[in-house]
Amino acid sequence: MTREELYTIAENWFQEQNWTPFQFQKDTWKAFLQGKNGLLNAPTGSGKTYALWFPIILNYIKNNPEYKTKHKKGLKAIWITPLRALSEEIRQSAERVAADLGTQMTLGIRTGDTATKERTAQKKNMPDLLITTPESLQLLLASKGYDKVFKDCSAIVVDEWHELLGTKRGVQMELALSRLKTVSKNLRIWGISATIGNLEEARDVLLGVQENAKKSILIKAKLDKKITVKSIIPKTMETFPWRGHLGLHLLEEIVPIINNSKTTLLFTNTRSQCEIWFQKILEKHPEYAGDIAMHHGSINKETRVWVEQAIRNGSLKAVVCTSSLDLGVDFAPVETVIQIGGPKGVARFLQRAGRSGHSPGKESVIHFLPTHAMELIEASALQQAVKNTVVEDRMPYLNSFDVLLQYLTTLAISDGFYPKEIYQEIKHTFCYQGITEPQWQWLLNFLVMGSQSLQSYDEYKKVEVEADGKFIVHNKGIAMRHRFQIGTIVGDANIIVKYQKGGYIGSIEEFFISKLTPGDVFTFAGRNLEFIRIKNMEAHVRNSTKKTNKVPSWMGGRLTFSAQMSELLREELYKAASPCLSGRQAKPSTGGELSTIAGELSAELKSLTHIFDKQREESIVPKPNELLIETFKTRDGFHHIFYPFEGRGVHEAMGSLLGYRISLLSPITFSLAFNDYGFELLSDQEIDMQQVLDNDLFTTDFMLSDLQKSLNATEMARRKFRDIAVISGMVFTGYPNKGIKMKHLQSSSQLLFDVFRDYEADNLLFQQAFTETFEHQLEEGRLRLALERIATQDIVWKACKKPTPFSFPIITDRLREKLSSEKLADRIKRMTAILMK
Amino acid sequence: MIETIIINEQVFIMHYSGALFWQEKEILLISDVHFGKVSHFRKFGAAVPQKAIAKNFDLLNEVLTFFSPKELFFLGDLFHSSLNQEWLLFQDWVASIKPKITLIKGNHDIIPDENYTNIGINCIDELLLEDFLFTHHPEERQHLFNIAGHIHPSIKLQGAGRQRLKLPCFFKSKNQLILPAFGTFTGTYTLTPTADNEIFAITKEDVFKVSLGS
Repeated sequence: MTREELYTIAENWFQEQNWTPFQFQKDTWKAFLQGKNGLLNAPTGSGKTYALWFPIILNYIKNNPEYKTKHKKGLKAIWITPLRALSEEIRQSAERVAADLGTQMTLGIRTGDTATKERTAQKKNMPDLLITTPESLQLLLASKGYDKVFKDCSAIVVDEWHELLGTKRGVQMELALSRLKTVSKNLRIWGISATIGNLEEARDVLLGVQENAKKSILIKAKLDKKITVKSIIPKTMETFPWRGHLGLHLLEEIVPIINNSKTTLLFTNTRSQCEIWFQKILEKHPEYAGDIAMHHGSINKETRVWVEQAIRNGSLKAVVCTSSLDLGVDFAPVETVIQIGGPKGVARFLQRAGRSGHSPGKESVIHFLPTHAMELIEASALQQAVKNTVVEDRMPYLNSFDVLLQYLTTLAISDGFYPKEIYQEIKHTFCYQGITEPQWQWLLNFLVMGSQSLQSYDEYKKVEVEADGKFIVHNKGIAMRHRFQIGTIVGDANIIVKYQKGGYIGSIEEFFISKLTPGDVFTFAGRNLEFIRIKNMEAHVRNSTKKTNKVPSWMGGRLTFSAQMSELLREELYKAASPCLSGRQAKPSTGGELSTIAGELSAELKSLTHIFDKQREESIVPKPNELLIETFKTRDGFHHIFYPFEGRGVHEAMGSLLGYRISLLSPITFSLAFNDYGFELLSDQEIDMQQVLDNDLFTTDFMLSDLQKSLNATEMARRKFRDIAVISGMVFTGYPNKGIKMKHLQSSSQLLFDVFRDYEADNLLFQQAFTETFEHQLEEGRLRLALERIATQDIVWKACKKPTPFSFPIITDRLREKLSSEKLADRIKRMTAILMK
Repeated sequence: MIETIIINEQVFIMHYSGALFWQEKEILLISDVHFGKVSHFRKFGAAVPQKAIAKNFDLLNEVLTFFSPKELFFLGDLFHSSLNQEWLLFQDWVASIKPKITLIKGNHDIIPDENYTNIGINCIDELLLEDFLFTHHPEERQHLFNIAGHIHPSIKLQGAGRQRLKLPCFFKSKNQLILPAFGTFTGTYTLTPTADNEIFAITKEDVFKVSLGS
């Protein structure tokens, strides 16, 4: 069949639905059938699924002209989705096309939710089209004879690639692809991504570095989507709080929005915030009972599926949710979206906005609900971002040795591997393109000998080397434990929450449960639950009528502003600093661009007049050429606050760097807090600020080595090590029914971190914790730029009598970093034990 | 490096390593060494640095030299799990030291007693000496002062400027003293004291009496 004939089949199908294919769909069909690899940039709900299912099926038709009568068995294509909740939806659209075209092709889903029976059946007889997750794909590589399964696979599509890029699951995907390229000879690799800043790079990461540029393509769906951002501005600024993250003050404001729209999604930033909003709406407006629901990642699958179905039916007025509803799934009835609290990123904000007015041509409306006054500046910046489509990058990981070790063990427990062959494959991935031969040897040695030289009493056992050089795992226990570990790349130890009599409610981080004592009542999944006991990684609970304010907090809720967003934020703030806000005439231009924008103060900024006036009482609203430092004393100690407005990540780095440099002047201990506007050094001693300025402590000289040393003084790398220890298989998590042997294998990553620091500091995994902190958290490159900018600014130091509005969100932050140059003995003498109340 | 405490008119010396020395009887008390834990992890595929093994022995030798005790009591969890090669190192070490050794067994001590008795270590569930009761799990018994381990106690300190610190400690209440874990590869469990407790925090070089906040 010629390509033209194939297109006709596709176009006829579209005609039957009364649709016309978009240009990007046709482009994708063509590129795919030409044998190209590529990345498709298309938003959710644009018909991206048809852009890639069609050519996969058409390709099968081409290779099997008698496709209507003769079915050729075997796996033909894999569709990867980062969220297993999306798999059913994808299956339905694929199945429809496959059936309508009369192909007899079969479809299957393989995720953590798939029953064992079905999985075994699949292994014997793979469906033609398999929909799965990155983890389940790894598990397939962990089973014997996997190469035969993938032999005739002609395509792999990685959906929502932007969500995986910049995470370790993305690295896991890169590695799986590097293997499939060898195993499946005629494989086409495609990714689908929403708009991010570095689309070209996203394609390179997906396809690997040896990829011939001519063979690959980047297709952009140019769908003009109108997005309207509306900020919810408090009617009385005087009573609007200076800090906080819940936003409940504005609860009444959302009522008319919900009432005026078919279905509204309320996005919150954390699962606990989601729980609280859901409770409070029902408390204040019991009339919504039955019309609103809640959706987040810790709620059990049945409930989530029910909620998703109810949104599709249009039977819900509103759903309070988290990023769990960011992706995929077409929800036509959703007319309006409300974002509660800063989304911290433009791409995420746009994605959420796109959940409303889903059908082509419809307008997307998103309301932004600030949780404290300063967030109105963020709202104003978001308006600008959407207007100018400023979108951030997703930074891919480099040299993630933990993921590589996990992958090598995976290969070793299935068919074994030859290092020479695998080295060539991984060397061509984006993540490991820079790996060196000594590093590779170290990793192999780690697998076989646990990173030690051979010693008589060592019994380290994991991977063995056979006579012909094949690396393989023979021990069944090791293989079993490894399979359990594969799904845990996200990290935290989770505890299942269950009713005592059975009935799964969801899962919570162990961290939260460990703080409860039997009899405590907490809110979860919209219910008040009494904690009874913990048994076999399960928390048993019963319903309670008691009121409580305990809501589980989930870690990892802290996001940082991207560089682009920080810049917009600064620009908005500097507008506020310009004199015209206080009603006076704009001065002749000094800062160039400022004079032109000064006149266009947004409604958000105007509403903040009261706050800015308050800020000016003791301090200033900084202008572009000013770096503001505020100092004051409270009950907590001496506060020293710096406002570079560079985003949380840069502030973490700058705070540690500056704290470290100050601590060299004289022994001192700091507690550090950061947010997107600035950072605080809190101490029981007052810093001699004049000395800080005189010694030029913001210099970029020795920045790297100082930053490195400051890292040793804080705990940031320690936290990164947590994931690394789990992924690389050094910490065992989440076993069902632990026996005594298993209990003896429990340890915390904290403990491991200490042991590595004291006895094996050159261990690559230990080192990785520092590199990751550097590259992914502290963003060294951005720090340098920020310091260079500061070098051109005037430093304005204000010694205040009391906290200013700008300082409030920072000084009340409880999540803090420590840094000290004092002798432990001296510190202990000034401290007291925390007593039982 | 050390702190002294008087209990029932007897002198006890606390060492920064977590060891406790009963001066009148010349008995050294050590709890929760968890020998073999590193090897146990390694045997099951977790590459914990092997060098951590040697540290336990180095530290033991250091305290033995410092106090020169006549007897050595291990208050349980001496060996972390089933037998492994680290036992050979332990055997050699036992043969190399003078004091008589007694093991008061803990929940982790699952290897058969013969292993200990064969190398001259006395194995018992608890030990009563004058008005002191030595156990692994902390216990309360009338008219007796209990010295125990098991908990791996640590304490949280706070200070001005929102400073926080967590340190392993000796945890004393009216009729009980809980020793910190001696082993290098062991975690801690944070206890919250009341005003009646006495707390001695340990660091890598010293022992400090902790003042209790209000």
